[in-house]
Amino acid sequence: MIEIQKFREEEPQTILLGSHPGVIQSMLDYDYLIQRAKPSIVGIIANGRRRERYFWGESEVSIPVFEKIEAIDEKLRNKISVIINVQSARRVLSSTKAALDTFPNLKLVTIFAEQTPESHTVELIELSKSRGILIAGPSSVGVLIPGHLKAGAIGGTQHSQLSNAGIFSSGDTAVVSTSGGIVNELILTVTNSGLGVSFALALGGDRFPITTPANAVMLAQNDPQTERIVFFGELGGTDEYEIAKLIDAGEITKELIVYIAGTVADLFENPPQFGHAKALAQTEDESSSAKKAVLKNSGAIVCDTFADISKTLKERAQQPMDHESRKIGERKHSLIVSHLSGDKNKDVQLLGRDLLDTVNGNSFASLTLSMLLGKQIESQKAVEFVDFVMRLLVDHGPYVSGAVNTIVAARAGRDLVSSLSAGLLTIGSRFGGAINYAAHNWIQGATKGISGKEFVENFVGNGGVIPGIGHKKYHTDLPDPRVEALLKFSGNTNGDRYLKFALDVESITTSKKGSLILNVDGVIAAIMLDILESELGYTKQELEELEQIEFFNALFVLSRSIGFASHYLDQRRHDEGLLRLSDNDVRYIG
Amino acid sequence: MPRRKLSEYRSKSIINSTLGLSYKGWSIVDDDSIPIDGYESYTVKVDQAVKGRYKKGLVLLDILQSEIYSAVDSLKRKGYSSILVEPYVPHGEIVERYLAISIRRDGYWLSYSDMGGVDIESNAESINEVRLDDATDWTSLSEATYLSVVQLQDIFNDVQTQYFSFIEINPYIIQDKILKILDCAIEVDDAGMYAVNSWNESDLRSPRTEKVTPEEERVRTLDKNSPASFNLSVLNPQGSIFLLLSGGGASVVIADEIYNIGLGRQLANYGEYSGNPNADEAYLYTQQVLSLIDISNAPYKVLFIGGAAANFTDIADTFDGVIKAINESADTLRNNNVRVYVRRGGPRQEIGLAKIKEALDAQRILGGVYDPTTSITDALTTALEGIKE
Repeated sequence: MIEIQKFREEEPQTILLGSHPGVIQSMLDYDYLIQRAKPSIVGIIANGRRRERYFWGESEVSIPVFEKIEAIDEKLRNKISVIINVQSARRVLSSTKAALDTFPNLKLVTIFAEQTPESHTVELIELSKSRGILIAGPSSVGVLIPGHLKAGAIGGTQHSQLSNAGIFSSGDTAVVSTSGGIVNELILTVTNSGLGVSFALALGGDRFPITTPANAVMLAQNDPQTERIVFFGELGGTDEYEIAKLIDAGEITKELIVYIAGTVADLFENPPQFGHAKALAQTEDESSSAKKAVLKNSGAIVCDTFADISKTLKERAQQPMDHESRKIGERKHSLIVSHLSGDKNKDVQLLGRDLLDTVNGNSFASLTLSMLLGKQIESQKAVEFVDFVMRLLVDHGPYVSGAVNTIVAARAGRDLVSSLSAGLLTIGSRFGGAINYAAHNWIQGATKGISGKEFVENFVGNGGVIPGIGHKKYHTDLPDPRVEALLKFSGNTNGDRYLKFALDVESITTSKKGSLILNVDGVIAAIMLDILESELGYTKQELEELEQIEFFNALFVLSRSIGFASHYLDQRRHDEGLLRLSDNDVRYIG
Repeated sequence: MPRRKLSEYRSKSIINSTLGLSYKGWSIVDDDSIPIDGYESYTVKVDQAVKGRYKKGLVLLDILQSEIYSAVDSLKRKGYSSILVEPYVPHGEIVERYLAISIRRDGYWLSYSDMGGVDIESNAESINEVRLDDATDWTSLSEATYLSVVQLQDIFNDVQTQYFSFIEINPYIIQDKILKILDCAIEVDDAGMYAVNSWNESDLRSPRTEKVTPEEERVRTLDKNSPASFNLSVLNPQGSIFLLLSGGGASVVIADEIYNIGLGRQLANYGEYSGNPNADEAYLYTQQVLSLIDISNAPYKVLFIGGAAANFTDIADTFDGVIKAINESADTLRNNNVRVYVRRGGPRQEIGLAKIKEALDAQRILGGVYDPTTSITDALTTALEGIKE
């Protein structure tokens, strides 16, 4: 079993399974209030957006969102030590199992959902034991280790609840509770009594808590910071008998202050199901009074009222702790967040430096790539490649859709921006967008380990042309000189896996038809991917994200904008007049 | 994952169908006129998860067809609503066997005995227990239970796929080499209801005989239709202490502390909401509790709105609903000589507590409003000062 002390010795790296904004914000608030340099939450598994925005103190921070657990790369997987599972009850088992299998250094899981089936919990009990991972729940609001960890809603979900709760520095009293509301109540009872909390653990009110009351009390017994334990239990189940046995056997020597709720059940002829799933005594020994008696008999301090708990604790606070209050001020989410640029101390900043510093330190291509990727890029090779691509894509004659549109608008007397926009609006799946589509394909192909042959077969099966493959003019016997020029940028340390895959695909397609060669779009996509991965350390997930947000399209749009603007100016300089198609150009088939 | 009991009718239907046996029985809940015939005589019994039915006279044996409905009525007059009628088939001297499978922390366990029947509890030492796992020796289990390996595995399969927490087949007999299930009880894990096909909500039984009050009924409906949870039980309609509680743990604590100081009989109701209900839901729930206040003739009444320091239930939001209901019933509350006490904490407690204090004060029914710096016990002590045993 993991020991509590372990969590005080290392910084937690936490993933949320499912998104629960209240819980997440409160954990970030706690991180901030204990003056952690950056958020302990490093990812959220959820659908929808790529990032979720939260407050960081009075400022803001965005947390990466992964669609599924498999999307987390190995480097991050190895760091994860804490999982907060806020998914629905029916997904608790599968999602928790997946987490246990994915994160090799996992130490703690908290499970929030109520109504997890008993048989699912029983499987998790087995896994918790065999893997030596502390699992709190189901129906647990989490674990709190003052000064180190707030895993879950425990302690509250509003920052003002955290401010004055006395939970920023460690004390000597452990709190263990089957109820989420009561764990919080007891934390406040401890800190208001002049003591401090060593750790607080919400076990959850299910019939089979994965971490049992006895397990939790043993955690406290083995914790060097803990002097005494306050335990809240309820009617139903026989877990408390295990604690009594441990006391009798001398395994628990620390002082145990106990409250077992549920005596009121005696008032009912047929007691109702109280709030928690296990809170129904099926036999006499599961009743509150029976469990209180057996614990008292073993020497625990059994309290009949919360006032008793408070009084007992106050007697032990000879030098009351002076709990620090820390506040987070007024805050409001901004309308727009930018990671690129903005004012700082009245000066405009670009990519984290003074505007002019950034401008002076970059060539145009280097600034372009840095801006598009959202961070200063230092790789000379990457910059040289982008510089070449930007020059290469600038124009390809007035025949293509975008140029024609620009020319038509210009000759209709429209202004620069209208004409340029008319040209840009043609860029998409049929014209100009192929680099991005090709990037998508090369990522899928090269990283899944399928062969070019299988890939092509799938494509033919899907009945489509392959973006990045094929040319009207060039073919195997007449190679595209631009492709030759681009290939000079190959030779990357990842073994050019994307380019290699693209060439593998080409070898299949050209065997079918000579014109189905790797074209400029396809080769730019492949080499750009190889450079991003080798030179700039992008992971597969990051490359996928770049493809999804159309980074590769941006290269074409930028470069070709120069071409379109030039065609506009060219037309206006020569003032050709309104373009109208003649009868020969249009055939009416009525 | 509360455990719930299935009706005997459903339990027997499931297990007989699983084992390929036929089962004849008529479940009478609302419809009093289903035709029953074909047998010489019948057993008529309460089918409501009541323990010790024989001793309580809730099983009527050897009833003629013409007497069935008067027998049903006699049981219904005792307050029960779910009755089972079965053919009465006496069997001679024959070994009654016992078999049960239950889920525990460490997995599934099968227990069996050849001293089954109503006295199984006094024959506890005759029960053998075996953990069911990959290493289970089904052949020797089959020899010990007189059930085939396939029958045992089919039952176990039901337990797993139909989310049984507990199944007890007691007794069963082997008569002329044929298996007969004489009685069967099943407890299910209601958290698995989404995944099963052999039972549903309508098959669940509780031994309660008291009539459900309209207030309780409305709270049940509210609970069904909301992601938050609500429950309400009327304890003593003439009580003087009314509870509007929140949070699974704290609600029991508050009721306990009232009971422990000897005021249990004054408790008009028990009930709680949890899971961050919205203001509308809190309003509907509060209305039901307030409606109980007007029924009681107690000369002085206390409404205690209580809970611990919530982790994520928004106090300001839920109190908006509570305040709306209180404002609407303020005249009634004043006429009933009600004092309202509040003790609560959690997200946005400052706003919620200030608002409710202002509202109670304006309606002249304010007892006291406390945040978590006052213990539950101390708030209760103050609130209950005027209540007598």
